[in-house]
Amino acid sequence: MSRPMSRPMNSGDREVSTIRVSGLRVRHRRTVALDAVDLDLGVGVHGLLGPNGAGKTSLIRMLATVARPDAGRVEILGEDVGEPARRGAVRARLGYLPQEFGHYPGFTVREFVAYVAWLKEMPVAGTAAAVERAVERVGLGDRIDAKLRTLSGGMVRRVGIAQAVVNDPDVLLLDEPTAGLDPEQRVELRALLRELGSTSTVIVSTHLVEDVAAACTEVTLLDEGRVAYRGTPESLGALGEAPGVGDSVIERGYTAALRAHRTGLEATR
Amino acid sequence: MSAPRPAVGLLLYARSRAVPGTLTALAGTAVLALGAAARTGSGADPGRLLPVVALAPLLAAAVTGAGLRSATEELDRTAVRPWWPRRLGLLLGPTALAAVLLPLAVLGDGPAVLRNLLGCTGLVAASAVLVGARLSWLPAGGWVGAVCLASDGVHGRAVALWGWPAQPGDVPASWVAAGGAFALGTALYAVRGARPEGPRG
Repeated sequence: MSRPMSRPMNSGDREVSTIRVSGLRVRHRRTVALDAVDLDLGVGVHGLLGPNGAGKTSLIRMLATVARPDAGRVEILGEDVGEPARRGAVRARLGYLPQEFGHYPGFTVREFVAYVAWLKEMPVAGTAAAVERAVERVGLGDRIDAKLRTLSGGMVRRVGIAQAVVNDPDVLLLDEPTAGLDPEQRVELRALLRELGSTSTVIVSTHLVEDVAAACTEVTLLDEGRVAYRGTPESLGALGEAPGVGDSVIERGYTAALRAHRTGLEATR
Repeated sequence: MSAPRPAVGLLLYARSRAVPGTLTALAGTAVLALGAAARTGSGADPGRLLPVVALAPLLAAAVTGAGLRSATEELDRTAVRPWWPRRLGLLLGPTALAAVLLPLAVLGDGPAVLRNLLGCTGLVAASAVLVGARLSWLPAGGWVGAVCLASDGVHGRAVALWGWPAQPGDVPASWVAAGGAFALGTALYAVRGARPEGPRG
């Protein structure tokens, strides 16, 4: 795996957490989506892995301030987002790609991204340039004035990424950004993630462990609403050196970490 | 695109909620009401206008209610500013247009039309919060339909309250009921917004 060992980053960035989550608990009707989750995340690209229903989307939605936890505290960029008065300032510096983001088929790419820029209260003077830059970054510059209804699924997904980065967010939350992208587009997205992760806190939820291996600096593995493993792609890969289930080292690491977490839970029951 | 103006965001918001279509449909409703009133009203018997007086405001409120839908609910929740002023604008703007056009179209019974518009809009707004914008017309439609069928010949003071859609325009209690529904529905919608109807239903 060829990844730059030293990332362009101010010294001390690692110690400063941009996101602090403590005692986070979320329930959906009767099921517990997140249970006593504590996380400190700083600048870099953080991969969020886990089986379906592990709580990845719930965690991202809490961090995006679109849903409120039942218990616990979420602090983003030093602000407690539980306080409505503080939330606005955080949201202006946040980028969010929901799993299903919905869109207006009659809007052009430019108009849709500008709509989100307006939601984020971006200064009017810089919006047009920021919109073009964001669309350029996801490789849709030549389709900027195309209506969304004329775009393919993968292109719409990239429009979703463009709207998430339009305000150059300090915290970028992407829920399944690679879903629907072809291999070439995924490679480009990973490069974009690495670039963004040099200055911002990027959190990427994904099913694809190879995305994590290629683009992430840290990995958090969720299982049944709890943090099952935290480490780097390298340390997760090291777990996979031993024979196990999976076709690649990191896939084996993923299953090994899950299994270790589950047997650990069994033992304490 | 030329240099952006401050109104660009608001215009995009209006287009995203299909406001141009809503306003056109409201104008169409007024034309329809005008035609219907001209054919049914004899002047001597205002009661014969009842179908127009009850249905035109209901149709207008239904059109407004359909426009309360958001396709980007999840992204909208990340808006920096509170939503209530924009929601109020989205609800009250079209309602104001209808409030000007409809009483003009049904000159025979203008006050009753205005009262019914307020009442129906309130019901529709509250329904958008509770069941979603797509079916927000349904409870109001059911109420108005039931009242028109059932309130004829009912005696007592309560009928002026619950039967407001079918009352003459000069019954104070019917204005209290319709005005109350309007205030309640508007406030509820401004605070809560339409119920999400996306994949997260």
